[in-house]
Amino acid sequence: MSVARTAAGRPRVDLVGGLLSGRRLPDEDGTVRVALVATQALLLAGDDVRITVEVDEGLALEVVEVGGTVAYDMQGGAATWTLDVHLGAGALLVWDALPFVVATGADVRRTTSLTLDEGARAVLRETFVLGRTGETGGHLTTTTRAQLAGRPLLVETLAVDPAARADPALLGGARCLDTVTLLGARYDADPPAGGDVLQLDGPGTLVRTFGSDAHTGDLAAAVAHARRAAAATARPAEGAAARSDGAVAAPR
Amino acid sequence: MTDVVGGRRSDGASALLVLAMLADARLPTGAHAHSAGLEPAVQAGLLTPAPPLTGGRGTGHPATRTPPATGASTAPRGGGGRGGEDVARVPALAATRLRTVTATEAGAAVVARHLWLDRRDLAPVEHAWAARTPSPAVRDAARRLGRGYLRLALALWPDDLDGAFPAGSAPPRPLVAGAIGAVTGLDALQVALLVGYDDVQTIASAALKLTPLDPATTTRWVLDLHPAVAAMAADVAHLTDPDDIPSAGAPMTDAWAQTHARTTRRLFHG
Repeated sequence: MSVARTAAGRPRVDLVGGLLSGRRLPDEDGTVRVALVATQALLLAGDDVRITVEVDEGLALEVVEVGGTVAYDMQGGAATWTLDVHLGAGALLVWDALPFVVATGADVRRTTSLTLDEGARAVLRETFVLGRTGETGGHLTTTTRAQLAGRPLLVETLAVDPAARADPALLGGARCLDTVTLLGARYDADPPAGGDVLQLDGPGTLVRTFGSDAHTGDLAAAVAHARRAAAATARPAEGAAARSDGAVAAPR
Repeated sequence: MTDVVGGRRSDGASALLVLAMLADARLPTGAHAHSAGLEPAVQAGLLTPAPPLTGGRGTGHPATRTPPATGASTAPRGGGGRGGEDVARVPALAATRLRTVTATEAGAAVVARHLWLDRRDLAPVEHAWAARTPSPAVRDAARRLGRGYLRLALALWPDDLDGAFPAGSAPPRPLVAGAIGAVTGLDALQVALLVGYDDVQTIASAALKLTPLDPATTTRWVLDLHPAVAAMAADVAHLTDPDDIPSAGAPMTDAWAQTHARTTRRLFHG
């Protein structure tokens, strides 16, 4: 999906669909909003989900998920989930994702790459749940690689599987790893109950909880704080909204 | 003044002696004040015997956090240690670190060595390391160690290290270790082995201060971890690009470090 400026001064949103498709929602406070909808059962063996998000300078995009994602038993197969984000100078992305459940037998490689130009900000939520109720869960390896103004800001690879759960130093028995990632701004609120606030070396913060299910230690309040922090750091946000010249592209 | 110092550039015996010297706990760098994450882990309950899978957060996590999964068995299980402590979790922690945070440090050291051989800017290595180290408490500890290492290194090899680290910079220890490796003839594998061995030995040594143990037991742990150290070092020794430094995280280790940094009752910096 891409959000770009048009000559007419309105945000132009381009959405291209595949396994997922984007649906434009009404804008809110100058923020382009797009719902991400699965067009067929996800996530199955052999699926190769690639989502590209491009937000032009000064524009704001919120991605809204309609349902969580379950990576099903792949019976020896595997799937990939690749998200590539480019945010122009001063652009903003908010993606408060719903839980990503790794069912027993699933084998998923997730890669999230974010390139932020000067002044850009992103608020991302990732909730990984190991197994549906009563399951031990499958295997997920997820890498987040973010850079801001050409400098690496966050590079983290995590395993979410029964071995990581059993390891005290990795998931420490937790079935659910819930993270709010704020890039380009700092989270300045107190840690949520049972959660940790990790201030990155560069301008960014991870807010993280370890839980027994997707509702334990809910980070909804942390997302709200992160959004406020991102908005407070905004440079051209108001000006961009006024010019209102952008386009949103779509997932494939 | 540095030209009389042994160990420069590719004399095998000299390099080995430098390696032994750098790995020696008696090296005056302040390393004895660090536990490589063991004290934060022990404070969080690492040694408290609770089955990880059913005990949920009871495993090594402060009581303030999310309660264990419902249906969890809270019955203590014998862990083979004194007083019911599961001391086998100490070498297990070291092994996990070798696959995660220590691989990152070793990778950073190897790349720093590579760049400093040609006297190239080390800032990209520091940025890459910092981006892979999300916990400020862990970064602070590494930089504190780096300071001690750098002070010593600048006294020993002032000319060779001139310009490696701008005045006022706070490089983490692996960067300093890498730069020392470059000017003393250590190869990439040796630098990675040094970082891996040091982490394991730091944990073993700290364990003796944190829980009653026979020093032969902790030394056995180190010996048994030699293959894991060697494997990790072999995995990172070829690296030359900061972007390729390993990034596998240990999220609960980060949480422990943050909690530990807020406590006052502690023996170690981190």
